[in-house]
Amino acid sequence: MSDPISYPDVTQYAVPFFIAAILAEFLWIAIKGRGGRYETRDALTSLIMGAGSVAAGILLGFIAWAFFMVLWQLTPLDMGTSIWAVLVCFVLDDLRYYWVHRFGHRVRWVWASHVNHHSSQHYNLTTALRQTWTGTFTFMMVVRAPLVLLGFHPALVLFVGGLNLIYQFWIHTEAIGKMPRWFEAVMNTPSHHRAHHGRNPRYLDCNYAGVFIIWDRIFGTFVPEQENDRVDYGLVHNIGTFNPLRVAFHEWVGIFRDMTQPGLTLKQRLLYALAPPGYSHDGSRDTSETIKAKYLARNPQDRGTPGFEQPADPT
Amino acid sequence: MPLEILLIMVIGGVSAVAAILHLSGRSEQTVLSVEDARAEWHRHFPDDVILQVLIAENGHAALVQTEGGTGLLWAFGADTVARHLIDFDVFETGTGLRLEFHDFGTPGVSLSLAPHERADWQQMMIPS
Repeated sequence: MSDPISYPDVTQYAVPFFIAAILAEFLWIAIKGRGGRYETRDALTSLIMGAGSVAAGILLGFIAWAFFMVLWQLTPLDMGTSIWAVLVCFVLDDLRYYWVHRFGHRVRWVWASHVNHHSSQHYNLTTALRQTWTGTFTFMMVVRAPLVLLGFHPALVLFVGGLNLIYQFWIHTEAIGKMPRWFEAVMNTPSHHRAHHGRNPRYLDCNYAGVFIIWDRIFGTFVPEQENDRVDYGLVHNIGTFNPLRVAFHEWVGIFRDMTQPGLTLKQRLLYALAPPGYSHDGSRDTSETIKAKYLARNPQDRGTPGFEQPADPT
Repeated sequence: MPLEILLIMVIGGVSAVAAILHLSGRSEQTVLSVEDARAEWHRHFPDDVILQVLIAENGHAALVQTEGGTGLLWAFGADTVARHLIDFDVFETGTGLRLEFHDFGTPGVSLSLAPHERADWQQMMIPS
């Protein structure tokens, strides 16, 4: 168990591919006149966020690594590094991703980190790289703990996590419509992930999958992209800045301001950090549940259609 | 991967993408018509009832009167951002008006307004 195990940092090796694919997508859109939109400052912000995320990983990655290595010393299990161990770890890590991502939309503390990924009103391959700088502070590393305790080496766990992120790069595009039906049934695709990035009431809090869309189908959060409800990308309340520092930290500042308002109970202060985004102690803001309810009041004919079948998400 | 190679790739790649987008005209600000402004406002605030829309001469901003008060819609690259004018400060600048929103994610906006527009806009921005 003490043998040194190392895997390449695949996200760093993917950088040339990311840049080439972005240029190819832009050329495709420019030549064909369809398949998405690019805007200079939006794309530049996304790319700087991506670079900053890599830098944050280099600077703060030791915290998660130290945590995982403590767990690795504690566990009596060792799944090894066979191809089967890698495959099983990849699938279990994707289940881990689903729940971290779901928490990322349903717990404001985690949303504060993830919100920047949704802060663009565009949806192209640069959006995929608009990644968090503050993931370490969400403590979502604990969701990876079971994988290490099951006997998957921390290096393997981080390796498959990197592969998971690389898979998700290509699904951030409008240039691809729908994949074959069997693929759409099992895998996360551009169509499924476009819906996830929608600020339309129908698409709020859906399609959390990383690689396998089956997790959304199993846990009841799958909403297929609708031809009659074109996805409107961005946040419910879109931010008005291209400044990467403001993009990275705006929700953290919002949490701080809300929690430190005078006259709140301790419970209300905690809920401003831990309740779903949109919580307010006086009901003056909208959560995704109230946004959906207001939409259905205006459009009762949509009740029961995808995205409007279920009562509020309890998580 | 050596850090210096990673840095060269990232800086070179980001610069190349930004240059290509800018040179191909992807830095233009959106220009609003009255109909665009109405549609965009409803995209941001679907519950609002719009009473009146006033477009800036350059088309990059609109004052929107709703039943709940006045709002500002402005070009944000190829897209728009909108805010109800509730908690803000407004200052005159050499080219128009500067609004500050006390919001870390939307700190403010500088509006380019013709000299004859400025007083009217400032008057209409008074919180209701």
